[in-house]
Amino acid sequence: MENNSLLDVQHLSHMFHLKRKMTVKAIDDVSFQIKKGEIYGLVGESGSGKSTVARCIMNIYKPSEGEIFYKGIPICKNKEFRKNRKMLQMTRQMIFQDSASSLNPRMKIEDIVAEPLRIYSGKGRPGKKEIEKQLELVGLDRSYMEKYPCELSGGQRQRVAIARALSTKPELIVADEPIASLDVSIQAQMVNLFRKLQKEQGFSFLFIAHDLSMVEFLCDRTGVMYHGKLVEEGRTKDIFAHPEHEYTKALLAAVPIPDPRIERQKGEVL
Amino acid sequence: MLYYGKKLVIFMISVGLLSLVTFYVSRLAPGDPLFSYYGERVEKMSPEEREWAEEKLGLNDKISVQYSRWINQVFHGNFGRSYKYKMDVLDVLKSRLGNTLLLGGTGFLIIFAGALLLGVICAWKEGGWLDKIICKAGTIISCVPEFWLALVLILVFSVSLRWLPSSGAYAVGQEKNISDRILHMILPLTVIVTEHLWYYGYMVRNKMLDEIRADYVLLAKAKGIKKSRIMLVHCMRNIMPSYLSIMAISVTHIMGGTYVAETVFSYPGIGTLAYESARYKDYNLLMIISLMSGIIIIACNMAAQILNERIDPRMRISRQSEMQEVDNYE
Amino acid sequence: MRELLKTEHLSVSFFTKSGEVEAVRDVSLTVEEGEVLAIVGESGCGKSALCKSIMKLLPKTAKIKSGKILADGIDITDYTQRNMSRLRGALFSMIFQDPMTSLNPTMTIGKQIEEAVRIHNKKMPKKQVKKKVLELMQLVEIDEPEVRISQYPHEFSGGMRQRAVMAIALAGNPKILFADEPTTALDVTIQAQILDVFRRIQKKLGIATVFISHDLGVVAGVADRVAVMYAGKIVEIGTAEEIFYDPRHPYTWGLLQSLPILSRGKEWLPTLPGMPPTLIHPPKGDAFAERNAYAMRIDYEKEPPMFQVTDTHYAATWLLDERAPEVKAPIGERRYGK
Repeated sequence: MENNSLLDVQHLSHMFHLKRKMTVKAIDDVSFQIKKGEIYGLVGESGSGKSTVARCIMNIYKPSEGEIFYKGIPICKNKEFRKNRKMLQMTRQMIFQDSASSLNPRMKIEDIVAEPLRIYSGKGRPGKKEIEKQLELVGLDRSYMEKYPCELSGGQRQRVAIARALSTKPELIVADEPIASLDVSIQAQMVNLFRKLQKEQGFSFLFIAHDLSMVEFLCDRTGVMYHGKLVEEGRTKDIFAHPEHEYTKALLAAVPIPDPRIERQKGEVL
Repeated sequence: MLYYGKKLVIFMISVGLLSLVTFYVSRLAPGDPLFSYYGERVEKMSPEEREWAEEKLGLNDKISVQYSRWINQVFHGNFGRSYKYKMDVLDVLKSRLGNTLLLGGTGFLIIFAGALLLGVICAWKEGGWLDKIICKAGTIISCVPEFWLALVLILVFSVSLRWLPSSGAYAVGQEKNISDRILHMILPLTVIVTEHLWYYGYMVRNKMLDEIRADYVLLAKAKGIKKSRIMLVHCMRNIMPSYLSIMAISVTHIMGGTYVAETVFSYPGIGTLAYESARYKDYNLLMIISLMSGIIIIACNMAAQILNERIDPRMRISRQSEMQEVDNYE
Repeated sequence: MRELLKTEHLSVSFFTKSGEVEAVRDVSLTVEEGEVLAIVGESGCGKSALCKSIMKLLPKTAKIKSGKILADGIDITDYTQRNMSRLRGALFSMIFQDPMTSLNPTMTIGKQIEEAVRIHNKKMPKKQVKKKVLELMQLVEIDEPEVRISQYPHEFSGGMRQRAVMAIALAGNPKILFADEPTTALDVTIQAQILDVFRRIQKKLGIATVFISHDLGVVAGVADRVAVMYAGKIVEIGTAEEIFYDPRHPYTWGLLQSLPILSRGKEWLPTLPGMPPTLIHPPKGDAFAERNAYAMRIDYEKEPPMFQVTDTHYAATWLLDERAPEVKAPIGERRYGK
């Protein structure tokens, strides 16, 4: 195995059992690697299995087949997982699409951000200064500490979720459609924020999205998923320049272009 | 099919356990079963006579032996004789069952329809004075104990005003007189209905409000449907599955309420019978009443479960997705 | 062309516990027959509230404070719910953002379309109703309508559900259609399909349409005219060409710039800093001033009026005042394409 790859997903498959004899293959033989300090984009439509991949990586689902190596540790083995649990939970963090439901509505922002550190650091509750620093990182000032999630807008809530994820100084962040439910203008802010944080902190980043527009900006490498399979993978630049798979081409063509003349022509061709 | 098979097995096991527990508890509880068989005579009996009497009723053996004998009888369709009435327990039950069904059934129907009506009215006028009054009054009335309410009603309507009879199911010799029966039912029915109606009405109201806030109501409005139709056709339809399953469970609550009301009003139904049989240690009668009540309760709960899963087309899906395994490495 | 919808200085407020929220402030616009007007803005800018207030679908806490709404020449400002339910579906109709929740889950798709047909044609015989339902399903390009008609919403995919919602909205042959972010909740590829269907139907039936979106990219192919809304006000309005090729308001610049496709090759995406203001106490002066890189002193003191650029193009920014310094739009040349 290469030394510089942080996460190595090998021949991952996962099945959901609907009825006794009916199973659905949510992911089918997916392999990819994420290097240290790399931003990897995983793109696909809803139901393509991209979220299932993320959950397998975070040990939420146990894959039916295949193995995931994180820092060389096969984390899908129960024994290995239990042995390294604390390290795994400290160094991997996840950000969800819907921050409204992934943040506890009855906790203050400062408590939300402090929680992972309080649990994992073993040093008890971090000081106000530390929380303030975390919030500053994501562009929120100290006035937000006393607020509750419902008082924030979608973008601000997502920033809190990022601050929480960053508080344990993770080496891998998995973000499952973190910007899909935000306005375009806020999406741009978030993408810039991700870039900035990644540069400063050097974590590896798995960015899951259902469209390609922001991926181009953010990701070093990109994988395209379709019906549970990884149909195309490569450097983002290459994929945008020479898409190979039909689905990738369709995804690229579907990105709306803010030019009435071009868009109208597109409509007439179809 | 397998699904229903499983349910049936669970049902049988629950009923078996229930009979075992009732049997042991009733026999371990203090009291003298001979009293219900021989009445006052028991006090004058010599020890030998007592022993002979107990032997005759099969009360000398160990409880486990008694239980196996009872089970054996039951499988042959014989539930034993009532000590007090000196009749087959099934016959005793039969003579009372009609009264209870009449009282409890009417009560259930009134509650079923009334709760729906109240809930819809409250949801319609959400936040209005009617809604507020109904909700507040309901909370207060639900807190009043059943027997206390019954006594107050007797005091007011039977003792002071002398409008309504205070006890029994019919006046002497008036067994077939329907208006007399109705007159006797008014007070116990009032107690049963007022104790339960509000709770279920409130539930309907909240369910309706959840539905009214749903997006499809907005679309229904946008296509030009009137509020009344949206409420009665769209929303009602969507709360029906959960309402039906709630009402299936409510049968047991209402049944309990009926028993209490019967006892207070000395209404000759299963409730009074159960009370007597427990008090006088009429073992065989007690067993069959608790078995019957238990079977109704378990059956209703199961019906509720099945209803819940079967009626709503979405439930079939969500049952499937629930089965998605989530291994958590523990 | 006939003016089908017109609002004059419309202001709508929500009266909440924490105060009056001025969701729509002094909005005047017109929509003509056969035309698509897109309203673009960030969430909370009042674009949804504007449409729902025209259709009177807002909760009781919302009130029209001033202004007039004219639908097909009739003043409906003071119409009651009863009057409105006669107009809804027949004169105007609406499509909502989330097709997952906007259909009744316990009714078949066919029944739900049928219901909408019946409302407006009470005496239509059964056979004809069914024929009309099938026609509608074909119109919105649902495959195998005979099979689909008896299916429940959960058996439909997201795109198919949105088509069904469109069929319902079109059942009463409305003259005006409101589409509230109809593609936001869908996958990009599905979004492209739905936009195509939408465009085709709109052309075919010539319905006057108000299309709401937060994404200028989505709007480009659909809209004839575009109105940009910010903090409850329309800050720029013009034909699609004018808004995309010659935008004048700095907010429109910001919205266009935040589309990654227009900023290809740059290291950072240009963004609008900060957040939209709360509308409980809208700031004095131009509400956009705080986020405006080109703000002048007057922006903080006085609200800019609508400056006319051309006959169809208006923008509310002091930059268009003759005393203002000349500013070059940061998105001068178009550069996209592959």
